[in-house]
Amino acid sequence: MDAMAELTAEQGYEATKIADIVRRAGVARKTLYDNFDGKEEVFLGAFDSAVEEVAGQIDEACADAGEDWVDRVSAGLGAFLGYVAEKPAIARMCLVEAMSATPASAERYDAAVGRLVELLRRDAPPGSGLPETTEETLVGGVAWILHQQIRRGQAEQALDLMPQLLDFVLSPYLGVGKQKP
Amino acid sequence: MERLPRGRHGLSPEFVAQNQRQRLIAGLTEALYQVGYQKTTVSLIGERASVSKSDFYKHFQSKDECFFAAYEEAIEQIRKEVVDSCARNEKAEWSLRARDAIAALLAFLARDPALASLSLVEGLRAGRGVYDRYQAAVESFVPYLRRGAPDAPDGASVPAATDEAVVGGIASLLGRRVLAGEAEQIDQLLPDVLEFALTPYLGVVEARRIISAG
Repeated sequence: MDAMAELTAEQGYEATKIADIVRRAGVARKTLYDNFDGKEEVFLGAFDSAVEEVAGQIDEACADAGEDWVDRVSAGLGAFLGYVAEKPAIARMCLVEAMSATPASAERYDAAVGRLVELLRRDAPPGSGLPETTEETLVGGVAWILHQQIRRGQAEQALDLMPQLLDFVLSPYLGVGKQKP
Repeated sequence: MERLPRGRHGLSPEFVAQNQRQRLIAGLTEALYQVGYQKTTVSLIGERASVSKSDFYKHFQSKDECFFAAYEEAIEQIRKEVVDSCARNEKAEWSLRARDAIAALLAFLARDPALASLSLVEGLRAGRGVYDRYQAAVESFVPYLRRGAPDAPDGASVPAATDEAVVGGIASLLGRRVLAGEAEQIDQLLPDVLEFALTPYLGVVEARRIISAG
């Protein structure tokens, strides 16, 4: 699965062949087929495990941040950006390739966005009177900015986006430029 | 799109070719919406368009090439809605221009769910080529939002990434709803989308005033 992430990051999903994956991973073709039905299954497996990992890290960061919702959202966003910076190949696979790779991967992408939306909703202040779709659009916006950053080859600098993205995420609740990054 | 009459009709070959090409693009868009990317074959596109397979290949070298053409055309139509709306409000304040352009965009997508699906969801399955066009298209809407946008209330400055995040966030939300099969009701998201788009620049109170005056 790591080989899949690396290869997709380098050459895209379409161009990545089973032969490339087994060569990069140093495993026999048979071993791959013992574990996966084919290329799409490897991709989806890699995607799912990355989502588990990043959701776990976000959750943990929120928990460590304590009770204050601004602290929690800020810690969660920081964990997300930190993950992208630390694992640029996986981030590219999940945030850039997954949307267009296959119909199944697009649905997983959508579900993963949904999961981040739930995490944000959990910590967002209740009774803000904001539209129901606010968190969905915020997560979509953050994912888009990261997508652009990754495509520019600057995934490693994702944390540089923290002040701007934090302002963006908190602004519907607090107003623009109101929080101290 | 109606096919042309058979036999002698006195239409120029260029007209016939252009008409066929348009029918193929419409056929692809319709087939894609109904059966999804993988089942949208050259045969099915030809069938929907009443164009033979050999005529298909006179216009496009492959299914993907037809996709690229259909995609570009769809984006052009969407852009035209936004550009025309902005042009009608050239003299108006930014907030009114932005509000009406977003309303025009959503109304257009709701009227043509097949086109919404092609441009935001199902078309992207055609792989990198279309995906690159999607990303360029989303980016190309940023300047329309940015042009003349005020700074945030109380003298706070709007971060540079905000315009992009607003446009990307809206594209993402609309894509999610189209994927969920709600393309026809997408215009019902208008108040939500407007509040999301205008609040960073106007503050929530002013944004709501503009929206309710719409």
